[in-house]
Amino acid sequence: MIKLLLRVLPIFLLISGSQFSFAQTTTSLPSVYGRVLDAQTGEPLRGADISVDFKKSGVSTDSAGRYRIFLPFGEYVLKVGHVGYNPYRTKFYLKADFELNVQLNDVTKQLEEVIVSSASTKRDIQTPSLGVTVLSLKGIKKLPTMMGEVDVIRSLQTLPGVSSVGEGANGLNIRGSNVDQNLIYIDDTPIFNPTHMFGLFSVFASDAIRDLELYKGGIPTRFGGRSASVLDIKMIEPNTDKFKMQGGIGLVSNRLLAEIPIVKEKLSVMVAGRLSVNDFMFKWFAPNYLKNIRANFSDVATKVFYRPNNKNTISFSSYLSQDYYRVDSLFSIENVIAKRTSFDYGHTNFAIHWNHYFSEKLNLMLSAASTVYKTKTYAPDTVNTIDLNSFIKYKNLSASFDFQPNDKHKMNFGATITRYDIDPGSLNIGVVSRVATVKIQDEQSMEAAIFADDEFKMNDKFTIQYGLRYSQYWRIGAGTFNEYTPNRMPSLNSIVSKKTYADGEVMSSYGGFEPRLTMKYSIGENSTMKFGYNRMQQFFQLLSNNTTPLPTSRWKTADQFIKPQQSDFLSLGLFKTYNENVYEASLETYYRDVRNTLDFISGANLQLNPNIETQLVTGKSKAYGVELMVQKKKGEVSGWVSYTYARAFSQMIGDYPEVQSINGGDWFATNYDKPHTFNMMLNVQPTTHHSFSFTFAYNTGRPFSSPSGMYEIGGKKYPVFQERNNDRIRDYHRLDFSWTINNPSMKSQRWEGSWVFTVYNLYGRQNPYSVFFKSSKIGLRAYELSVFASPFISLTYNFKFL
Amino acid sequence: MPTHLFRYILFSSIIGMISWACINPIMDFKQIDSTSYMTIEADISDDEALNKIRITSSANRIISQNPLAVSKAEVYVLDQTGLKTIFKEGIVLGTYLPPVGFVGKVGSTYRLFVKTLTGKQYESVEEKMIPAPEIENIVTQFEVRDQYAKVDPRRNGFSVYVDFKDSPREGDFYMWNWRHFEKISVCETCEGGATWNFKTNVCVAPRMPTEDILNYLCNGNCWDISTNNDLNVFSDVLTNGQRISGRQVARVPFDGYSPYYLRLEQRSITKNAFNFYQSLIAQVQSSGSLFDVPAETRFSLNIKPMTDPKERVLGIFNVFSVRKKIYFIDRLKNVPKEEFALITFLTGEIYTCPPGSVNCQDRVPCVESSYRTKITPEGWNL
Repeated sequence: MIKLLLRVLPIFLLISGSQFSFAQTTTSLPSVYGRVLDAQTGEPLRGADISVDFKKSGVSTDSAGRYRIFLPFGEYVLKVGHVGYNPYRTKFYLKADFELNVQLNDVTKQLEEVIVSSASTKRDIQTPSLGVTVLSLKGIKKLPTMMGEVDVIRSLQTLPGVSSVGEGANGLNIRGSNVDQNLIYIDDTPIFNPTHMFGLFSVFASDAIRDLELYKGGIPTRFGGRSASVLDIKMIEPNTDKFKMQGGIGLVSNRLLAEIPIVKEKLSVMVAGRLSVNDFMFKWFAPNYLKNIRANFSDVATKVFYRPNNKNTISFSSYLSQDYYRVDSLFSIENVIAKRTSFDYGHTNFAIHWNHYFSEKLNLMLSAASTVYKTKTYAPDTVNTIDLNSFIKYKNLSASFDFQPNDKHKMNFGATITRYDIDPGSLNIGVVSRVATVKIQDEQSMEAAIFADDEFKMNDKFTIQYGLRYSQYWRIGAGTFNEYTPNRMPSLNSIVSKKTYADGEVMSSYGGFEPRLTMKYSIGENSTMKFGYNRMQQFFQLLSNNTTPLPTSRWKTADQFIKPQQSDFLSLGLFKTYNENVYEASLETYYRDVRNTLDFISGANLQLNPNIETQLVTGKSKAYGVELMVQKKKGEVSGWVSYTYARAFSQMIGDYPEVQSINGGDWFATNYDKPHTFNMMLNVQPTTHHSFSFTFAYNTGRPFSSPSGMYEIGGKKYPVFQERNNDRIRDYHRLDFSWTINNPSMKSQRWEGSWVFTVYNLYGRQNPYSVFFKSSKIGLRAYELSVFASPFISLTYNFKFL
Repeated sequence: MPTHLFRYILFSSIIGMISWACINPIMDFKQIDSTSYMTIEADISDDEALNKIRITSSANRIISQNPLAVSKAEVYVLDQTGLKTIFKEGIVLGTYLPPVGFVGKVGSTYRLFVKTLTGKQYESVEEKMIPAPEIENIVTQFEVRDQYAKVDPRRNGFSVYVDFKDSPREGDFYMWNWRHFEKISVCETCEGGATWNFKTNVCVAPRMPTEDILNYLCNGNCWDISTNNDLNVFSDVLTNGQRISGRQVARVPFDGYSPYYLRLEQRSITKNAFNFYQSLIAQVQSSGSLFDVPAETRFSLNIKPMTDPKERVLGIFNVFSVRKKIYFIDRLKNVPKEEFALITFLTGEIYTCPPGSVNCQDRVPCVESSYRTKITPEGWNL
């Protein structure tokens, strides 16, 4: 290892060596000589530079690709470089004339391994899709990680337009969206809580993921139900030919994936699992007050792939995730005396897909999907036993056709129907306890949609993709609604009666068209201008007034009082590639307008509240921004830089402004409004055995509410807040580093290991997450909370068995 | 991979995990907005000593300023029979006290009326005094809080828990407060070589400061008073009519071995008061986590401005009944052998008159304040 370090670090750090003078014409000295050729074509390369011990030698190849350098006896590092080609390095001991022929690889023909994949570049340039990013898992795995856990959600945050409230926050804010406005699918089954450990890690076991498509705008009509974006994650399809296994051992979790062919070229199975083992550290190493903490999570993904013939494929996928925590005092249920509380939550997702190919022009995909997301909060060890459960059950049937009648049209059309069954909260059902039994009414709803879109290539320059989705939503019985005194704000005092609906009876319904449009105009061969518009509706929202939602936060379907969210999104983009797709530059702007967003009245009580409409305020939000990104996708050094200017505001007036309005009814910055964001990712891969990655992130600090004064109650001092989010925390910046050593033995064998060494927050900046105020002798004092306040070193061992 | 390197990484990761989050004071915090609001804190109770109304104008800075008293206001409460009780401004400006003998009655409703010298009027909604249940049982436990260092007074202490029976009536809200009286013998301490001036009642520093510390004994009985720093409220929404057991109501420091006097108050408060105190808890006590709720102030919860409806009023009209319990905590009981009290010893010397001196004074008076009293605390038997 130390030897390896000594060999690699000098290349990477470009440490200048000792002074060296070439004895260019001294024939008594031995020489190194040879030819430099293009690896693909075999053509000689003229003008390739030869460096010795990291110094330019002044020698370059002639028209036949030949070179010769005379050197004293000794050990040397020789580098051969040429513009547009990956450099070649080698180390040798020169004791006599030595022939060294070198083949260089053309960068433009190299397979890229950065996050944003070539499919994305192709889309940016050749298709009208706009705001769509395809992410390669191979690239994501090269990014520095937190505690060695490859993390999809964190990696996404390095892209323009994608952010979160702060480190450790649960969920994503995409182009000014709230976390519940983004639809996250894994093999067409929705994920309601995308993180483990209250926001620390993504729920997705990275090994099981084939690729991710992030739709920040230009959302195809087959997607609906959320008002901002779609993150479509596909699991890998297991290899039908060969058994493969891979896995990893890390500080936080251990992973294992196996691809098992059952019937060659017809039937195969993939099983991937991840299990955290971190909580033994609390027991062994933590101080006493943390010793009782238990924190474990796991996820298991499986996929069975069956191809009976060339016209049909059937796949069955499942995804199970589980979290368990036990904490002494954190997040207990209010107004219950419990010293120790446990949390348990997770997804159980299943999907089956049947693809039938009628002809080259027409194919059908039928799918059935089911998701169950359950949460449980309990404290079994006191007389005040609590056992609080909730669930969301999602069932979906979809059929869609891809039809390509000719070269000019590509169509997709179909229908989908979803049923939601929600238990918003059941406390102590069938449990003997001093704590009461509470049952919040179950909710049932249906959402059906038909959709069609067509990508019409009018000519070589102009392509339009237009589509329409119609979504209809029904809230159905059995159920009861409160009826309130007309023209009075819903409150416990204004309930006049209750209206009861029978099983299956429609209690309320909403529906509407969702037009989608994107247009592409090619300015030249490598440049494209695009425009996009889409309307989205959301019938299902997360009720949380915390800075970041708890995994146990309540999801609520639309009803008489809660209207569905509706958003209109406009975007304009400019894309250009250079040097045969080695470089890509993009500029995107957007504006988003959302109606019927929710906030909460002052002092809202959301816990087990059967009359939740009394706590809500309806309003609107808007977001706009400019995203600029330059990528270098191939070569020894690859990566990107991006700058984003983005704003996100809300206005909450409500139907009864005098009591409900927030911030006096004025627009206010949302918790995730961070105007300036700069991200940089750099990957250096000097050899196939080593790669080094750096990521740097900067953004404006997020808003917080700053007091306008102080008042005294009971002789104690308290802040006076008169405006929401009127100040900002300090700016955020962080540098991470990772070093991946692939196959350290450098031998070709079936078992291939690799080490990943990561430092998160390299210079240990204490980035603030929030600012809050505490009473002190001199009045009130402001404090900052930093989540990852010091450099965090981790080491992961990964392996592949091929 | 050398073993020691792996160990180093494991160690640093564990240390990192444990010290992930940190909280730092912001030394250069700049307030970007400043406004003052009318603040009314009115307590009407069935304990005569607790009835008072404080009217101030909130400070527009969060540092170093005390709220300004609003003096010479007309203040009164009306009960359900229309009986008017006038509160008059006392010695402390902005604090209005009822006539001697006034106590609130359980079951009665009260409304507050305030008219300032400038003519602004404020009125509360009607609030009913709900009976408070007796504290049935008090349990103390010696508990170590490992997150604090050995020398930190917050580390070792006695947690105090109460049991009581909630009434079958729905919508009960509780609040706990405590008061501790510590008998003292030294009433003043002059540092830096200063001496006490018995005429002006202040320490007078010498021209050249020295390291001498002089302590002056009290001229009679005197007690230091300390109270709870944190607000503690509870709703019976999930435990209506049940026996509530194990509610922590106080944390007593382990700073001595003598019995610790504690006067516990269990109050029955109104829903408005509960909501108000909950909002204060969310703002100050429960903030600083990943999951904070929005920082917001609840204005005009049950006191409305009558002159200018748009005006925002701070504070609460708090109508409550109270049950008290005097309790002595035995600080020798159930303490592990390895734990010791953090006793603060008196530094310096005790000033005494030189022998034979005439008309010499060496004792100072015990000055009444919120933090000190010469009145023997209720139930004091030590």
